[in-house]
Amino acid sequence: MDIKNKEFMLIGGLLVVVAGLMAFFPSLNDSNSTVDWISIPLVGFPIVISVILLAFASQETRSRKDIIAVPIRLFTLCASLIPLAISTALFFDWLILVDWNLAYNDYALEKEYLWIESIGVSWHVGLDGLSFPMVWLTTFLVPVTIIATWNEKDGATYYPLLLMMGGALIGVFVALDLFLFYIFWELTLIPMFFLILKWGGKDRRYAAQKFFIYTFCASVIMLLGLITLYFLQPEGSGSQYGTVTGRTFDMTVLFSNATAFNMGDNVFLGKDMQNVLFAMLMLGFLVKLPAVPFHTWLPDAHVQAPTGGSMLLAGVMLKMGAYGMLRIPIAIFPDALLYYQDVIMAIGLISLVWGAVVCLGQTNLKKMVAYSSVSHMGVILLGIASMQPIGYAAALFMMFAHGIISPMLFAVCGAFKHHYHSMEIGSMRGMARWSPYLSVYMMFAWMASLGLPLLAGFVAELMVLLAYWPTYGWWILLPGFVLAITAAYYLWSMQRTIFEGGDEGQPPESLNGETPPDITLSENIGMLILAIFTVIFGVFPFIALGMMDQWAVALFEGVFNGGI
Amino acid sequence: MSESAIIDYAVLIPLLPMLAFPVILFLGKLFNGTPTWVKNAKEGGIIALTVMGASLVLTLLVIKEHMNHVGSANIFTWFESSWWNAETGAITTKVFGVGIHIDHLTVMLLFVAAFLCFMINIFSIGYMNTDSINDNRNHRFYAEFVLFCSGMLGMVLADSFLWLFIFWELMGLCSYLLIGFYWERPSASYAAKKAFLTTRVGDVFLIIGLVMLWNLFDGHLDYAYVFDKANIAAVDSGDLQLALGMMFIGAVGKSAQFPLHVWLPDAMEGPTPVSALIHAATMVNAGLYLVARMFPFFSGAELGSLSTLAIIIACIGGITAVMAALIAFVQMDLKKVLAYSTMSQLAYIFTGLGSALWFANNGYEELAAFAMGASLFHLFNHAMAKGMLFMASGSVIHEMHHAHHDIAHHGDDDHEHDDDNFDAQSMENMGGLASRMPIAATAMFFGSMSIIGIPLIGGFWSKEGIISSAWQVALKEPIFLLPAMLILIGAGMTGFYMSRMWLMTFAGKPKTEVAKNVHEQTAWIPIPLVILTFMTLSAFILAGMHAGNWLGNFETGHYSSFLGGVGSELKHVFLNDDPFLLVLTYIAIGLSLILGPSFAMALYGGSLDKGQKAKPWMQWAINLSDKVNSSSKFDNSAWANSSLAEALHKRLYFDDLYDAAMLKIVVGFANISAIFDTKVIDGVIKTIETTSQEASRRVRSLTTGSARDYIMMAALGTLVIFMLLWGVA
Repeated sequence: MDIKNKEFMLIGGLLVVVAGLMAFFPSLNDSNSTVDWISIPLVGFPIVISVILLAFASQETRSRKDIIAVPIRLFTLCASLIPLAISTALFFDWLILVDWNLAYNDYALEKEYLWIESIGVSWHVGLDGLSFPMVWLTTFLVPVTIIATWNEKDGATYYPLLLMMGGALIGVFVALDLFLFYIFWELTLIPMFFLILKWGGKDRRYAAQKFFIYTFCASVIMLLGLITLYFLQPEGSGSQYGTVTGRTFDMTVLFSNATAFNMGDNVFLGKDMQNVLFAMLMLGFLVKLPAVPFHTWLPDAHVQAPTGGSMLLAGVMLKMGAYGMLRIPIAIFPDALLYYQDVIMAIGLISLVWGAVVCLGQTNLKKMVAYSSVSHMGVILLGIASMQPIGYAAALFMMFAHGIISPMLFAVCGAFKHHYHSMEIGSMRGMARWSPYLSVYMMFAWMASLGLPLLAGFVAELMVLLAYWPTYGWWILLPGFVLAITAAYYLWSMQRTIFEGGDEGQPPESLNGETPPDITLSENIGMLILAIFTVIFGVFPFIALGMMDQWAVALFEGVFNGGI
Repeated sequence: MSESAIIDYAVLIPLLPMLAFPVILFLGKLFNGTPTWVKNAKEGGIIALTVMGASLVLTLLVIKEHMNHVGSANIFTWFESSWWNAETGAITTKVFGVGIHIDHLTVMLLFVAAFLCFMINIFSIGYMNTDSINDNRNHRFYAEFVLFCSGMLGMVLADSFLWLFIFWELMGLCSYLLIGFYWERPSASYAAKKAFLTTRVGDVFLIIGLVMLWNLFDGHLDYAYVFDKANIAAVDSGDLQLALGMMFIGAVGKSAQFPLHVWLPDAMEGPTPVSALIHAATMVNAGLYLVARMFPFFSGAELGSLSTLAIIIACIGGITAVMAALIAFVQMDLKKVLAYSTMSQLAYIFTGLGSALWFANNGYEELAAFAMGASLFHLFNHAMAKGMLFMASGSVIHEMHHAHHDIAHHGDDDHEHDDDNFDAQSMENMGGLASRMPIAATAMFFGSMSIIGIPLIGGFWSKEGIISSAWQVALKEPIFLLPAMLILIGAGMTGFYMSRMWLMTFAGKPKTEVAKNVHEQTAWIPIPLVILTFMTLSAFILAGMHAGNWLGNFETGHYSSFLGGVGSELKHVFLNDDPFLLVLTYIAIGLSLILGPSFAMALYGGSLDKGQKAKPWMQWAINLSDKVNSSSKFDNSAWANSSLAEALHKRLYFDDLYDAAMLKIVVGFANISAIFDTKVIDGVIKTIETTSQEASRRVRSLTTGSARDYIMMAALGTLVIFMLLWGVA
């Protein structure tokens, strides 16, 4: 096994130089001469690095790939820490002073570069209370995922794909241009498709195709909606407007136009058109979320996806749906939101209840966790339908909290599968005997997911309930019922895996009599990090909630105080 | 200044144990099995003891400072969120704070919790660390123990219903962990799940109640705002009653009242210190605390508007009191008798609280204060006595276990496991232990007397107050006759099952070889028993100090001269001016002192073995029981074989019913749903998929590659175009 050290170090060194240049070079100047902390460091850098690494790895033979996987893994981890460091520093004002107390349609660190002038497309990025928590979450999850799946096979291509996934996801969250938004929206599909296809389980081919086609079809409907919106908007003039079409893809311009138009009794684009377009956009987002009855791609994708893929899929990718709803249709079509308010509530409630009930009927651990995601995403819809800032902040906090808790759920499932070669609940009893660490993490994650106070999920659930009762009254009994059912399926699955088994325990049959091992150090570290942050945001929710609350207030002041 | 100084440290009371949780776990993981850790640190027991001791000291300082005035402190703002008024467009900020609130209720429960946690911690070191089954995992016990204590102390100190709920849930988690301490046993694992799920059902209603309350009180759950009389008056009392009713369901679950009582007896699967901690001294009192906290709503709301809820609370109490006592009649497991006894006594307190709330809501302030004081005093007495009873029973079980181990494995060290089915908890294997375990026997003797309500001892003072309060309400509100009657009957039943338990365990001849070889020999265990025995006996001191008055009415409760206080209490109880109450008192005493114990003596009494002698304060009771037993010809075999006894053995079928409902209906529905999800919802998607594939296959088959077909199609196409054009023209 001889690593061609010189060659490798050469390329590695080159990458580091490129990375350093890209991350810290005061990037592309525009009229506003401040440093662009978003475009290159957060979005471009991970994607470019991963493309270089993938290109590099694809030139190698199979046996060499295994050798270079080790340094690539380390390099990817280091590369993924740079966006994390930057986003953390932005939050704490270590790099520059960022004012997060933003008015509606105001963005921090906003940057705009004209791109396709003929149709009004620009590279327009910015952060606010809605997107920043998601961006931080993504930058946080990528390194954690890499650590938690430290021993994945074919690492030479696996880890760069995770990195690319992170960059694309951040792109979705920072984009302030519909065109850009859609590009990143679809770009996220590519790494995830390959992650499932190459590292997935037995039915990975079917699951990957289903995942891709299902969500892609929905996205196409969304795209149609966006294009219709583009052509129906009033023509205007200005740098953001296309020189040929006279229209713009710029979200900020659209938002301010729509808000200005919606004042009084006017309705932007007319009531019927609002309702149609709102429905088209929402369809794309609901499938991504996913909401019942568009959820069936999720269990398939999760069960077949590798652990790292599942962690990012549940942790951030599902939130793209919720993010999209909160970002685009609500801001442009507030009247349609009121029109569909009860429908959204009903879909949320159905997702919540149906997801939980189906969970109780599962025998596959990972499938159960996947359905629990469906159930929790329903909470977000309830928050949106509540029409209260506290409900919107709750929806946001739910996205954030679930983004920390659900990767932990899937990390536990992944470790379970990895070590015991089975996902069946009840395939083993007395796991606590052999694997105390995994048992502790499993119990912790399960408890966090069922909404135990002082862990992150509780705050969101409490706030949603508070917002829900005044609007929908006794329907609150159904979410209450779900709280009990959620506890039932989680406790039931723990009783049949961690506990019982008598003095000897009952190892899974799939191990053929071997002693079940405990989890590896890297899995341990990955889950520990997630657990620590679950506690931090559960005990001190104001860290993240302050920004979310400000955003929700700004949204209500900006969008709803005019026209309703 | 000193006031603000001490209350600033009050946050440490729950915080210290909470921080000790990870420390003990971590150190335990690090040093597990090393001699220092096992011998000197008692596998974390000493760390826990230090922390609980510190909490107790702080508690006493806080109590000393706040005996007579309310204190509160804000710690930090948990989070803020906003509310939008759709009509005006105004957005207001709602603050969710964290803080500390101390009044007489806090002081009393804080003392109970901190003191008993400390006592039980001492007991645990004796109990847990000398049993080989716990070796190398006691650190888990102590870690969960301190976390639990932190939950209880935090719940009591919290200054809002929100944080009360948060710590309430934390206790729920810890009780799950502690009940399932022996996780490898399916029964323990099942019991833990059952406890968590049953209380969770209550908790769901509690949080919905809190949501309703938050909405009613304009986004506030902190006591300072919601207990303000002006704010209560501004609230629609019908809505308030609904909200409080929902919250009460949470209390029902936590305090194991009918119909959410099924978890408590099973929870005895946990180690005995856990039973003492959770099921006697602390957690089950949380529900009572919640209801007692509602008092200002009842006194502040419109007259009579919340009466229905007060009546419901009292009725739930009355029903549970009798039901639990009935089931306790047939239990053979020492701890299960105590478990049902706990349920029954908590039910008394609920009835008392119900009376107090009814009085408060109907404008009888003095009577309300009296009933409230009696209820809370009973809570105090019960916690002390029941904590002690559980620990004493633990001592008995522990020594039974050791004796059995010595006999069964004498000189045979290969058999570490108990292969046979000897049940160290069954009273059928005990008997005659009064002389062999004098400390435990004494503790249980006085503990039982306190629970029964033998005059002048412990619970007597408070139980009389509860019964008389309930009857006084019944005179004004006829529906109240039901709970009033039930708890009066319950008094006699308590006398029976508690006496039965003591006699079966300590009097008579040893029923097994094991019971003959029992000795009280474990260090640490006797300390809390002795202390608590004196606590129980000294209840008359507290009664003399007008504890009832003080608890019932914080503002005007007063300390009279000590002897005068005792005298007036005695006069109040035995020579009441009101003839109705006088008669009632003697009926209650007659039932609990004479009728219940007499039946028990007739059935289960008996003298000790020859040569064995109990301590003089118990010997008379044993002799008496022997006399009653030999002179009576009472035969209960017909009763024991009746269908009622069978139903009682089956716990009145509640557990079976709930299990069936859960397994058959809920899980059945879930399984069908899971199938529906894959077959129908996903089936539609799959159908679309296969249909589109099939369609594409068909379309593809048109591409035959033969020129003749293409020419044919081109011709047809041209024809169609022409026809279309023609039609349009």
